[in-house]
Amino acid sequence: MPEGTGALREVLPKQGTGGEHRPALPAQPAARSRPFSPFAGQLSMEDTPAMVLCKPKILPLKSVSLEKLEKLQKAALEAAQPPESAPPPSAGAAPPRQ
Amino acid sequence: IQAAWNLKTRALTEMVYVDEIDMDQEGIAEMILDENAIAQVARPGTSLKLPGTSQGGGPSPAVRPVTQSGRPITGFVRPSTQSGRPSTMEQAIRTPRTALTARPITSASGGFVRLGTASMLTNPDGPFINLSRLNLTKYAQKPKLAKALFEYIFHHENDVKNALDLAALATEHAQFKDWWWKVQIGKCYYRLGLYREAEKQFKSALKQQDMVDTFLYLAKVYLRLDQPVTALNLFKQGLERFPGEVTLICGIARIYEEMNNISTAAEYYKDVLKQDNTHVEAIACIGSNHFYSDQPEIALRFYRRLLQMGVYNCQLFNNLGLCCFYAQQYDMTLSSFERALFLAENEEETADVWYNLGHVAVGIGDLNLAYQCFKLTLVNNNDYAEAYNNLAVLEMRKGHTEQARALLQTASSLAPHMYEPHFNVAILSEKVGDLQRSYTAAQKSEEAFPGHVDTQQLIKQLKEHFAML
Repeated sequence: MPEGTGALREVLPKQGTGGEHRPALPAQPAARSRPFSPFAGQLSMEDTPAMVLCKPKILPLKSVSLEKLEKLQKAALEAAQPPESAPPPSAGAAPPRQ
Repeated sequence: IQAAWNLKTRALTEMVYVDEIDMDQEGIAEMILDENAIAQVARPGTSLKLPGTSQGGGPSPAVRPVTQSGRPITGFVRPSTQSGRPSTMEQAIRTPRTALTARPITSASGGFVRLGTASMLTNPDGPFINLSRLNLTKYAQKPKLAKALFEYIFHHENDVKNALDLAALATEHAQFKDWWWKVQIGKCYYRLGLYREAEKQFKSALKQQDMVDTFLYLAKVYLRLDQPVTALNLFKQGLERFPGEVTLICGIARIYEEMNNISTAAEYYKDVLKQDNTHVEAIACIGSNHFYSDQPEIALRFYRRLLQMGVYNCQLFNNLGLCCFYAQQYDMTLSSFERALFLAENEEETADVWYNLGHVAVGIGDLNLAYQCFKLTLVNNNDYAEAYNNLAVLEMRKGHTEQARALLQTASSLAPHMYEPHFNVAILSEKVGDLQRSYTAAQKSEEAFPGHVDTQQLIKQLKEHFAML
């Protein structure tokens, strides 16, 4: 019997405490009341909640307009870099850098 | 000489021209102080502000990352992709505003950074056309010059009021029979925020001449007025006049995506592909839908198609790497990621790629590598909440509870809309025995993602325990 549970434990992906009792909480009745039979394969899995990872991120592709906008913004920021040398813009807008 | 002037004007405009249909940068003030809302509380499915229930199904937040507004991340981002309507001022300030960086800016300096600086870029010695000295009436009477001049003022100088004056004079001169000027006036009103007037102009232009662009502009107005259903009807009307027009179908798909109706959006994107099978946006969106619906091989096909079409950037290689890995084509995975890293243009993209590499590492079981990858993510982008969360999980595995807790706290404060950090805090606290904290965290997790079974079970357990006391 112990070998049976051991084999099951290796297969189980969850990092739960395989089969240990948790005295602080009421036990999940479903997992416990089922009769244990090592020869019947995996009947039930104690569902110890494990921590969840955040999901892999598919990166959204950028549209042509967005790329052009970004390019313009970058160029504008770079043009504003030496602010003293460039003449003040005629349209009188606030410079991008405060 | 007039021809030369005309040419130069149009060339200067073209340098900074971004299709106005796509341009849609909303300032913070416009978002928060929106007076155009018609109903105080919109019925579900009729408003863009409340993504509400995911009526169309699609992957849940258990599988697909969500953005700040609770919408799942899309496969394609445009200048007008709404990052969501933030509910509080604080969230609004935190929301990334520019295309480039995540630094917030107000509506004044908004996307109109090119205002004035465009002149600086093209004419270091001063502006090509001095607007204050222009006699608009004179130009209004010469339609060809006027049109070039209008575009210059509108796009290059970004001076909407002067542009509007010119357009008004010109349309009078044309006795209100020229649809082009009506559309331009509509655009000016849109920029100024006078949406109802813009609507009138576009409608009258449509009566005169059916043009796809006018439909698109009018739909933009309706979307800004938070009337997605009206916009949808308009698109359908447009499709009757222009059957099979890709931009209209694409518009419909985008609206459904904004309303969180992913399955309908996917159908319309497929329609787009039937008409135009090189449409990048449709391919990207369908690809990402398939990836998150547990079909990475199909997603891989879509992304390979994009590669075949010549799209060559960091995001595509990142997605290819992810799809290859999950489709078990391990030979391609790492080289795709290498290429993605090479092509990354800024630190945020690099951070994204390292984050996904961390996932690959977790998948192959190399937790040390995963740890390093997530740390590299944080090096490149200090505010990467997902990386903090995953690092916390890894630390927990090593048994470093306190470090895990600190990391989770950072993660949950950076991204309160994500359920994972809250859920993990709940688990951690429960293991340690701090049931009160566990309960509060579990509640936050449930708020973020009500459908999460594990959270519900945890809350039930905790409630039973508290009831026993």
